[in-house]
Amino acid sequence: MMGLSPEKSTNRAAGESLRGWAAALCLLAALGCTKADPAQFKLNMEGLDPADFVASGSTDEALAERIAKIEQEPDPDEEQLSELQNAQSANARAKGLRDLKVALHALFGTPDEPFVLKELQTQPDTPEVGFDLAKLRRAAGPVSSLEDGTQIGLYRQHCVHCHGITGDGVGPTAAFLTPYPRDFRRGIFKFTSTSESAKPTKDDLKRTLKQGIAGTAMPSFALLPEADIDALVEYVKYLALRGEMETALMSYVDAGDPVPLTHEELLSELQNYASMWDSAADEVITPEAPPELDEPGLLASIEAGRKLFLDAKAQCVQCHGPTGLGDGAEKRFDVWNEAKTDTNLAFFSLPKQQLQPRNLRSGVYRGGRRPVDLYRRIQAGIKGAQMPSMGQTPAKPSGLTPTEIWNLVHYVQSLPYEPTSETGSPERSIQRDRN
Amino acid sequence: MSRLWSLLFLTVPIVGVWVCIWSANNGYWMPDDISSHGHTIDHLFNFCLWLTGVVFVITELVLVWFMWKYDAKAHAEPVKYTHGSHNLEIVWTIIPSATLLFIAIYQMNAWANVKMRVPTDPDVEVEVVARQFEWRIRYPGKDGVFNTRDDLHTVNDLHVPVGEQVMVRLKSQDVLHDFFLPHLRIKQDAVPGMVIPVWFKAERVSNVTGATSAAYDLVCAELCGWGHYKMKGQLVVETRDEYERFLADLEKQQEATQ
Repeated sequence: MMGLSPEKSTNRAAGESLRGWAAALCLLAALGCTKADPAQFKLNMEGLDPADFVASGSTDEALAERIAKIEQEPDPDEEQLSELQNAQSANARAKGLRDLKVALHALFGTPDEPFVLKELQTQPDTPEVGFDLAKLRRAAGPVSSLEDGTQIGLYRQHCVHCHGITGDGVGPTAAFLTPYPRDFRRGIFKFTSTSESAKPTKDDLKRTLKQGIAGTAMPSFALLPEADIDALVEYVKYLALRGEMETALMSYVDAGDPVPLTHEELLSELQNYASMWDSAADEVITPEAPPELDEPGLLASIEAGRKLFLDAKAQCVQCHGPTGLGDGAEKRFDVWNEAKTDTNLAFFSLPKQQLQPRNLRSGVYRGGRRPVDLYRRIQAGIKGAQMPSMGQTPAKPSGLTPTEIWNLVHYVQSLPYEPTSETGSPERSIQRDRN
Repeated sequence: MSRLWSLLFLTVPIVGVWVCIWSANNGYWMPDDISSHGHTIDHLFNFCLWLTGVVFVITELVLVWFMWKYDAKAHAEPVKYTHGSHNLEIVWTIIPSATLLFIAIYQMNAWANVKMRVPTDPDVEVEVVARQFEWRIRYPGKDGVFNTRDDLHTVNDLHVPVGEQVMVRLKSQDVLHDFFLPHLRIKQDAVPGMVIPVWFKAERVSNVTGATSAAYDLVCAELCGWGHYKMKGQLVVETRDEYERFLADLEKQQEATQ
């Protein structure tokens, strides 16, 4: 071996540089495998500020000065004047929104660190009323877990991709869903056990979480630990209350009035809404037990229910159609979509979605299939979804009586099993099933 | 020094085999099998693993040997070209074909037992409808007929009695899903428009003596959308008594008028 030939020396150089790269890579990999805390994805709060926060370029004093100067002129320039006045209201609006943000922050904290005022927290002797801060903390924040396996950040783990970080029902997956996920901020929930104008109880929210909503994208969370479900219920209630408060304070901004910022003012406003949530448990509808019916009695009840269904008094046919297929003549929107008018569509991320009355022959019941669930739907209606409350109440003595409602319930329950509701031939194994 | 690269390739079979053996001895292996036919599936799996494992190791060793022997720095002879060996080509076509044919026939019985010999008189019938992203389960109720008033509905919670032949009628409401019970070695695509029978028998509740009920995974094994990763249900294997109690509970809840 006299000396290295040109090819061999290039090979050697290449080999050495390759070894260098390999060594560097191994070192980095080793460093990367050291035990460190996992990344925590705290929320980017700046991204939540709307464009309105940006005020006009000038201060209030400067604008007032210029307006005064123009008004003093013999022939004031109207265009310039209105421009300056617009700038003034933009300033006022921006200030109002900043105050709103401060107020909400003071009342509710942030998605990473939520809290509620002491006056709204649960007391040990009344666990049903108020908010449990420990549960809120578990449901909030970035997704992680403690050493014993307890999950933290439950809302972001399970709910945020549909319901959004503020509970506005516009998460990333919402655009693909019919119906849209619930917007919690109105404090209106469809499937409750309470009367027409009342809030849902904690049990109602728990039931929705546990059984999901059949026929929609809301899954069943029955396999989560009970403590996780409790924490999520608490957080949903928190988001709903926060949303209601936000709307209330927003009305000040829209009217051009100063946003209340003292503790007393905010607390009294807040307690208006919180008290409705606290009193929900008193508004639960417990139906009279239906009579024990034998076979012919049940058939008679179903027949009476059918007549009621078609009767104008019960108003069923106009939405559900004469055969209960959900093909009634009325075309309506639920309250969440009603708010989207032609002029304000730009504020909403998702297009308007038509309300679809239930096809009663499918055997799929969104709010639960128990007789008591169906009773409550008819008695109190479905909040937000334009299903009216048809039952008798002290305020509406002309409504349907309990017996009439039970007849309707029996009729509705019989609909999926009528011969006309059958699809296809009786099932055999591995055959085409036309569903 | 460049023979080092041949040795580097040798680490592949060594590390591969070592990881396999270590995993099997430290719990990173198949889930507990509680089914009646699962041992056949596991046996076939192990057979294929050993067969391919031995062939893999031999192939790797031959590869490393050739790399070592014909390393460019140590072996300066010019390359020799050959027209190939017809006999060698016949040998390495026939032997793999025969092996594959053997495997195909060897497993036929196991396949037929799981997919083709539909039991005519199952003890329990249940309908499972896969939908994005949950498992909707329906028992026929007291009258034993599906699609009647007394059917019992539940979501993601499939209960079966131990030691009894269970027949699942698998359907899908929207897209392809896959009904996968790892602890029973059962996997079947749910095809929209079809009703596919899936049968199994859980031989015991669990490996814990005296247990009356145990929960196992039911997962979706066919990509069905954004929620596929969390489309999990639970299979609960329990004694007959507990099973009856479960059904009675379901009925009571479902008929609640208060």
